[in-house]
Amino acid sequence: MADDNDVLAAFLTLSATLTGYSQFRLLGTGQAEPYLATTRGAVGDDVLDQLLTTSAAVHDKAADNEEALDRGLRAGILSDDKLGPVARNVIKMWFVGTWYQLPQEWRDAHATREPDVTHVVSPASYTEGLLWPTIGANPPGAKGQGYGTWASPPLIDVP
Amino acid sequence: MPAQIDHAEAASIVYDALVVGSGVSGAIVARSLAERGLRVLVVEAGPGEELSVADYETYLTRFYGAAAKDNNAAYEVNPNAPMPRSPDVRRLQPGHPDSTGYLIQNGPYEMDSTYTRVLGGTTMHWEGKALRMLPEDFQMRSRFGQGRDWPIGYDDLEPYYRKAEFELGVSADVADQTFYGITFPPDYEFPMHGLPKSYLDQLVARDLDGTEIRLEDTTCTLSVRPTAQARNGVPNPAYDGGKGYVPVGAVSTHQVDEGGRCQGNINCVPLCPVQAKYNARKTLAASLQTGRVDILTQTIASRVHVGEDGQISHIDYQAYGSTTSPEHVTGSLRARMYVLAANPVENARLMLASGLPGSNGLVGRNLMDHAYLLTWALMPEIAGTMRGSQCTSGIEDLRAGEFRRRHAAMRVSIHNDGWAWPTGSPYTDLIALVDDANAYGAAVRRGLVDRISRQLMLSFMVELMPEPSNRITVDGRYIDALGNLRPVLSYSLPEYTMDGVAAARRVSRRIFQRLGAEDRTSYDPLDTGYVGHQGEGYIIRGGNHWAGTHIMGESSHDSVVDVHQRSWDHPNLYLVGPGSMPSIGTSNTTLTLAAMSFMTAEHIATELTTRPTVTIGG
Repeated sequence: MADDNDVLAAFLTLSATLTGYSQFRLLGTGQAEPYLATTRGAVGDDVLDQLLTTSAAVHDKAADNEEALDRGLRAGILSDDKLGPVARNVIKMWFVGTWYQLPQEWRDAHATREPDVTHVVSPASYTEGLLWPTIGANPPGAKGQGYGTWASPPLIDVP
Repeated sequence: MPAQIDHAEAASIVYDALVVGSGVSGAIVARSLAERGLRVLVVEAGPGEELSVADYETYLTRFYGAAAKDNNAAYEVNPNAPMPRSPDVRRLQPGHPDSTGYLIQNGPYEMDSTYTRVLGGTTMHWEGKALRMLPEDFQMRSRFGQGRDWPIGYDDLEPYYRKAEFELGVSADVADQTFYGITFPPDYEFPMHGLPKSYLDQLVARDLDGTEIRLEDTTCTLSVRPTAQARNGVPNPAYDGGKGYVPVGAVSTHQVDEGGRCQGNINCVPLCPVQAKYNARKTLAASLQTGRVDILTQTIASRVHVGEDGQISHIDYQAYGSTTSPEHVTGSLRARMYVLAANPVENARLMLASGLPGSNGLVGRNLMDHAYLLTWALMPEIAGTMRGSQCTSGIEDLRAGEFRRRHAAMRVSIHNDGWAWPTGSPYTDLIALVDDANAYGAAVRRGLVDRISRQLMLSFMVELMPEPSNRITVDGRYIDALGNLRPVLSYSLPEYTMDGVAAARRVSRRIFQRLGAEDRTSYDPLDTGYVGHQGEGYIIRGGNHWAGTHIMGESSHDSVVDVHQRSWDHPNLYLVGPGSMPSIGTSNTTLTLAAMSFMTAEHIATELTTRPTVTIGG
């Protein structure tokens, strides 16, 4: 990747595909940079670069063909020993703000880095988790929807 | 700072009352005595640097950043005044006590109940249900041949329940709360109107209301009722004969615009982010307004001393400056009356660590809690789970009746927070979707809605009778960072309770059948809290409703305190709180212990203000 902006753009492209939320929505959380930094810290530059390069290739090859993108992602990333666990961690991080420690077999094969422990990226990353709006709720302890809102059906927007 | 006083100055004063513990019991006693012109010192073992919003916000930020969001996650680990934490509980091997957590678990049953050692005590993390006990709960022995009778009845406590409902700021409507013998004076209104039922409650009520369940020979007709809660709602203009009620907002020594109505943050436990939920800091803040209350935090009452006349002569303290260092100073505090309001475990622990097991050896015994059976299912339609306060409604119809001769009664809460307690949802659902179901993108979003928004969790709070063998002890092998003896718990679940648990499981099946909900309840024999009973296995969770270690009675032979919560052995010592309760019925204990605190404070004030002071040897 040429520079930091390219890396962030590539991370957002992959994140949007993995989460089902638009890049616009993801940027709105303010968490793209911290999540990119967390991923880099936990897996190192080489694995991150490989993940984003592979992602870019898969997206380029699929163009706008969703079926091709799905096949490419499963073959090139999600079923890859090295990249799959990292991609799944990126999904979970966007939804609940937590980096989960990579599986032991991944760490055996690649490396165990100090930042690769289960942790909430920051207090803000918890409250910005995408899981809560997905189910029409608020993160427990933040962004309460207001008195009595719970008496009505939830507002849920599923694709 | 809560009070502009230091330890040396406090040690030089003989207070009217020394209150150990700043939770709801201690706070109510302190406020009540101070409002009657008496001088009170409150000591709190845990931290609480400022009675301010800033202090409160640090708890909230810690909670946001905690990977394990257990019910004490908002509160820092403090080796100087440790607290039990549920993630510390381990599956016990028979005959092997477990000392992983602060609370030593002797077994046979491992208990995951907790309490909170910070300024404001466990009301910082309590959920806020504010239920009165049923009149029959006070007469368990004479009505049902089980447990013990109280030396007082519902009618004696009723006026104090009203005081407690004012102090805690209870939202409820009288029509919803009048059941199974509970009565109110004519024209009584709660301070605030009841909180609306959640959408989930309404779906459950739609099919469940009117369903008949048999427990032994008792036919129970179920209905979903709103739960009385110590949580700010819409003030009732008819309160107090039309005077209305002004809700108590966020605690601060400075002006702050927070603490209005419940916003539905679904986080009552471990911390309401906006202080819509009552916590004892609200009472402490009001007590400071009298100018007659001093509060010392990070101050541990380490030993109670008895003089030759049987009266308490003084209490030793340890004061530490930092939670990260065991460095501390020591001294002694004196008062005319001593009030231990530290919670049932800590009250018993302090007495036993002071070599005061009571003349009848009952201090620490008859420990109670509610046995919680959790059952969970998926509703057939989107129910909007994960919104509201944690519970807005429950089922009260399994709490009363002749079946209590045979097995324990139970109360059901409908949980707006879904399966969070039993399964760790929604985190576990997300992990299963991504790691096991290989979902990504839109499939994750659809899967989350499908798995979480239909969740229904019913918690059955099952009654436990006082048993002398369920107890807190101390043991010189187990000490904390400041050298204080840690509490050792011996706990088992009697057949009376387990038969109630089995009945609860049967009832849950009936309810799920009636709702067409997919029962997903399962209990893993390897999990903590697993108990076998008559061929079936259950996971029993603790209710954090510790009670009964200094049980109240009519005679010094079979109880620790009298009806005023005064020690039979030491006339100037009061052991206050749920530890005094001879039964806990199927009510969360806080409203009752708050009522008892008002009753006791009235008694202490009378003793202090009408009795002439006798000076010996003057």
